Amino acid sequence: MRSILTIIYNDLSIYLSQRGNLVGLLVIPVLLTLVIGWSLGRIGGGGPTRLRVDLIDLDRSDLSAHLIEELRAANDALVLCPLDNDADDYCRLEDEPLDVDRAIQRAHSGRTRALVVIPAGYADALVDFRTVTIDFYSRSDPMQPGPVLQGLNAVLQRTSSASMTKGVAAALLDNLTTAAQLPALDEETRDSFLNTLYDRALQLSTEQPPAVLFRVADSADDSEGGIDNGFNQSAPGMGSLYVMFTVLGGMAVLLRERRQWTLQRLMALPLSRAQILGAKIGAYFTLGMIQFFIVFAVGAAFGMDFGSNPPALLAVMAAFVLCITALTFALAPWIKSEGQARGLVLLLSLSLAPLGGAWWPLEIVPEFMQTIGHLSPVAWAMDAFQDLIWYNGAFPDVLPEIAVLLAAAAVLFAIGIRSFKYE
Amino acid sequence: MKTMVEARNLRKSYKRADGSTIEAVKGVDLDIHQGEIFSLLGPNGAGKTTTISMISGLVAPTEGDATIGGHSITKQPMAAKRLMGFVPQEIALYPELSARQNLAFFGRMYGLGGKKLSRRVDELIEFVDLADRQNDRIDTFSGGMKRRVNLAAGLLNSPPLIYMDEPTVGIDPQSRRRILDTVKLLRDEQDMTVLYTTHLMEEAQELSDRVGIMDHGEIIAMGTQAELTQQVGEEDRLEITTGAQNVGEALTERMQQDIAGLTRVLYNPPEPIGENSGESTPARLTVFAKRGRTALPQIIQTLDAAGIDIQSVEVREPDLEAVFLALTGRALRD
Ligand SMILES: Nc1ncnc2c1ncn2[C@@H]1O[C@H](COP(=O)(O)OP(=O)(O)O)[C@@H](O)[C@H]1O
Ligand SMILES: [Mg+2]
Repeated sequence: MRSILTIIYNDLSIYLSQRGNLVGLLVIPVLLTLVIGWSLGRIGGGGPTRLRVDLIDLDRSDLSAHLIEELRAANDALVLCPLDNDADDYCRLEDEPLDVDRAIQRAHSGRTRALVVIPAGYADALVDFRTVTIDFYSRSDPMQPGPVLQGLNAVLQRTSSASMTKGVAAALLDNLTTAAQLPALDEETRDSFLNTLYDRALQLSTEQPPAVLFRVADSADDSEGGIDNGFNQSAPGMGSLYVMFTVLGGMAVLLRERRQWTLQRLMALPLSRAQILGAKIGAYFTLGMIQFFIVFAVGAAFGMDFGSNPPALLAVMAAFVLCITALTFALAPWIKSEGQARGLVLLLSLSLAPLGGAWWPLEIVPEFMQTIGHLSPVAWAMDAFQDLIWYNGAFPDVLPEIAVLLAAAAVLFAIGIRSFKYE
Repeated sequence: MKTMVEARNLRKSYKRADGSTIEAVKGVDLDIHQGEIFSLLGPNGAGKTTTISMISGLVAPTEGDATIGGHSITKQPMAAKRLMGFVPQEIALYPELSARQNLAFFGRMYGLGGKKLSRRVDELIEFVDLADRQNDRIDTFSGGMKRRVNLAAGLLNSPPLIYMDEPTVGIDPQSRRRILDTVKLLRDEQDMTVLYTTHLMEEAQELSDRVGIMDHGEIIAMGTQAELTQQVGEEDRLEITTGAQNVGEALTERMQQDIAGLTRVLYNPPEPIGENSGESTPARLTVFAKRGRTALPQIIQTLDAAGIDIQSVEVREPDLEAVFLALTGRALRD
């Protein structure tokens, strides 16, 4: 056992002493994890989701201001542009004025979630109890209204019911005055009375919490695709990809060890073949685990979730690394040159990774591609990682995936150990 | 006399890529006595490395077995391997590690550790005279320095037996001298048994107590140098390099018939050196004769008459080269 550990330690220190290897082990996977993580979600994942909504107020009245205030209050995720733009230009206005045409363009392209246009004469129409049209533009499916439309509807409902209260009261007042033959109120008193009534009605409907509170996280329309944090996808995905790059690269190293006769020198030592093979397998398994830890450390630094079952997560990592190590040993005997090995590593990593959902979740690809994807060990690992990280699964949830990975490892090891070239 | 290595009927066949098999070693019997330097002498491809690989447990014999100090290399490989050190033909070292790191790693694999390990590494670095470069990476070393570390790595466990497979290939004359002296030192001062392979007659001649001559996978002659040269008798050997003119079989036969005392005449036409250097070895006529110096004038006369240019003539006493020539009809080439 001590000799095995000595060989593993020696192989790893040789591997880590080479600057080129550190680029592949550390620099590139970390960068890629960051880029993919940031592209798929927000940095850090700590802050609330924000929905960019253009709002153009052509009325500029107290009542339109009131509507805007209501809209803000209805959903704190809404960022109304340009009113609520921040120093970082979250609205992405780039200091250009926002007119209706540009805003429609933005809603159309999906840059904003929606566009709300409050027409000129909104306040007058409301006061006079006339029909008024608020324009709403969005790419979202009207059959599945998104959080913006839902918020707007709730606000408009309250505003219009307050306005209706006022209209009904005005009619009631006029009819009452006529029917009871009371002296007509002067205009000013009447308006003041009706406005108080309107405010009171609005206040009541606002204080009364709406029956449904729309939270962004509840929304199926959320285009973040159900990933709370981009690193929940990018860390396991890039981890799997780079475990393949790093561990499969062992094919070339095994060839070199045979060519430079260090493998033969080991065999002239009083060591059994099983010890030598075990040490070589151990070295690449350890390297693969190190690779996973590096990438997951990046994810952890950016608030990635690890689920609630660390042992299960470790087991999935180990099963995947073991499977890739076995693949390395199954392929190594057929490799004739280092160039051939490099080509094969690229080919396998770059086909198995996307096929298995390392770059994007398999859930978004067509069903037949999901089926084909499960030829890749990456798909099984990613399924298990999703179960644990996204859905907080427990050990039994990922046992099937672990079993598949271990079974594949057993078959590949059987091939690899049988045809391992000592000579 | 105790026998250290005893090999019986060792055979090894390899499968070629095209499916045919090649018999690299065809039934080798070997006895190496304790405390001697035994050389396997033979041209490239003779099967020396394959033989050494089988008796060191690197390669499983297709047939036959060998014992090291009484332990079968196939059945008790651990016990057998503990008795031997191994210096492969290749520089079997990690190029990314320093000389010291390489030796320390292989030393640990023999179970050495702590003070004992570092003392042994110090000793060996001193022994191969590399103290000033011990912490430099192997890939910065010259060929001769690499060879010396390669040799030191075979001595880590202070084995009673060491195999050295062409340990002087590709190095400068000083480094070669140093290694040859080291090999003799191991026998004379440390009482080690050495199996030494080479394709160079001079090395075998200088070092060996006994020699096995190998060709095409077989040991074609074995014994002390005196025993071997006796096999070719008391004949002298005349090495004559000739011009580009072809020496036909008719001429060599005529010489054999006409000149008294000639037993054999061999002709090796020029052969290109290396792949595409454009140079070639000179044509060489080898003549075996009872009294070479007496026959010489007549030989020169005959060649002259046949229009063959003579560039040089050398008369050699019987040596290993002559044995190889006599047995195979070919020269051992460098
Ligand atoms: N692994 C192998 N596969 C196929 N042929 C081999 C292998 N090793 C050696 N040979 C062949 O066996 C013969 C003997 O080789 P080797 O033992 O290396 O000779 P030497 O060491 O005397 O130069 C050569 O013809 C060589 O090509
Ligand atoms: Mg050889």
